[in-house]
Amino acid sequence: MSKIFVIAARDFKSLVFSPLYLMVAGICTVLWSFIYLRAIGQFAQRLQMSQMQGGGAMNIYEGLFFNLISIVHLILIVAIPMLTMRLLSEEKKSRTFDLLLTSPITSTDIAVGKFLAGLGAATVLLLLSFTYPLMTRLVTEFNWMMLFTSYLGLFLLLGVYVAVGLFASSVTESALLAVILAIVVNFTLWFLGQGADGSDSVVMTIIDKISVAENFSSFVKGTFKISSFVFFLTFISFFVFLAERVVESTRWRS
Amino acid sequence: MIEIHDLTKTYGNRIAIDRLTFNVKKGEVVGFLGPNGAGKTTTMKIITGFMAPSSGAVKIAGFDVFEQPIEVKKRIGYLPETPPLYGDMIVSDYLSFVARLKGVEKAQIKSAVNESLEKTLLTEVKGRMIQNLSKGFRQRVGIAQALVARPEILILDEPTVGLDPRQVAEIRQLLIQLRGHHTIILSTHILPEVEATCQRVIIIDKGRIVAENTLAGLAGEESMAHVRRRIQIRVRRKASELLPSLKNIDAIKNVLLTQDKFEIELVGGDDAVEKITQVVVSSGAGLVELTEATKGLESAFIQLTSKEKVE
Repeated sequence: MSKIFVIAARDFKSLVFSPLYLMVAGICTVLWSFIYLRAIGQFAQRLQMSQMQGGGAMNIYEGLFFNLISIVHLILIVAIPMLTMRLLSEEKKSRTFDLLLTSPITSTDIAVGKFLAGLGAATVLLLLSFTYPLMTRLVTEFNWMMLFTSYLGLFLLLGVYVAVGLFASSVTESALLAVILAIVVNFTLWFLGQGADGSDSVVMTIIDKISVAENFSSFVKGTFKISSFVFFLTFISFFVFLAERVVESTRWRS
Repeated sequence: MIEIHDLTKTYGNRIAIDRLTFNVKKGEVVGFLGPNGAGKTTTMKIITGFMAPSSGAVKIAGFDVFEQPIEVKKRIGYLPETPPLYGDMIVSDYLSFVARLKGVEKAQIKSAVNESLEKTLLTEVKGRMIQNLSKGFRQRVGIAQALVARPEILILDEPTVGLDPRQVAEIRQLLIQLRGHHTIILSTHILPEVEATCQRVIIIDKGRIVAENTLAGLAGEESMAHVRRRIQIRVRRKASELLPSLKNIDAIKNVLLTQDKFEIELVGGDDAVEKITQVVVSSGAGLVELTEATKGLESAFIQLTSKEKVE
């Protein structure tokens, strides 16, 4: 158990203090800031128009935060694979994998430790994005509840993407291949079941139930469904398990 | 301490190692010798639990490598061919990471790191980033890494490869110091290294053990008095006049003269060599060089590993 944290701590430190991480975090914040500013401008305009027409106040969630959450999510889909791409591929390339495989630790220690390191680094990014609603709070009042559940949902999604990235990184020595593979899987997961709403066929209903997007949307609506929570945990465990299998297989395959 | 029985590893159709069987006793230093591609690295990787064999068994301190890998790995310090270093870490952080990984107790970590830094003469660079170190230093960090958890067994895969002669000498010195504290298996294709550090040699070629003996046994030194030796003598003048008087010496079986150089084959110990020297010096030929052509381990090695190829 403690070995998991030895690995997690080393990888987290090496990841967060790498130039790559600063670059990814920098690009994310620039994009988020730019898009959020524009969203605020549009929201203000629409609010003005609605008041001129005699309408009441607009919902800040519908007008602003949903935009923020979807853009934060969209960028993380691409950014997380860049953080996770080197988790295992780099170890293989620089032969430090030999050290891990000849140390008294299990493949599970390695996979889970690396997953936690990636999740930690990704969470720092997610917290960065939380500064936008925090600053918005300085100028207006709103209910936190839906933001919290949305961010919990984002956090779970992050777990899925980190697990996918870890798996992608385990199957190749090339960081570039790992990042491409992870992004492709992430988008596939996201779009799977995207058009399934309202369809009658059994297959489509099943796809809808197991789609990442569908399970995430309940969090955004401010509800906390145990089934969605379990769904994400299952998904995460599945990909971490796959990565663990790949690590274990290198012991007897080569 | 290390028991290896009938170990076989195949890569597809290619047999990397073929029914290898040998034992290493506690505290022994064993040189694992063989030409490139003989299966040294494969064997070491299997002993350390890095990869599984196709068949056969390895027991370390009574534990089977594949049944209880964790117990085995606790007892082994391993330096692979390429030292497993994280370039973005500083030396002391890296070593304490390895110590934690190997399960050194928290309170012991600092002293374990310092001890291995001192042993490998790395104290002066302990605050430097690994990627900025020279190859010699990196190799030493690799050895420090293997030592840091104070393992009972050290497995070193070509520890001096790619180093300059001074660094090679330093690492040999270190290996000699480590003798007695650890059971060591050392792979190399550099013969003087084995002669300098090991008590026993296992020569493998094409995945098979072709010889296993003590150093003295292999080189045939225990019966040196009855063995043919070869020496070279170079003189400044009157070489041809010297030839008949050399031929008169009993111990000399064969003399060959080329310009000012004698190639002499003789039977006997150091007293025979002394006799020859006396004859040469008293003749006033002006002795400028007397060297013994290395026989022993080197010729044993070449003989054993080339014999296989003929078959």
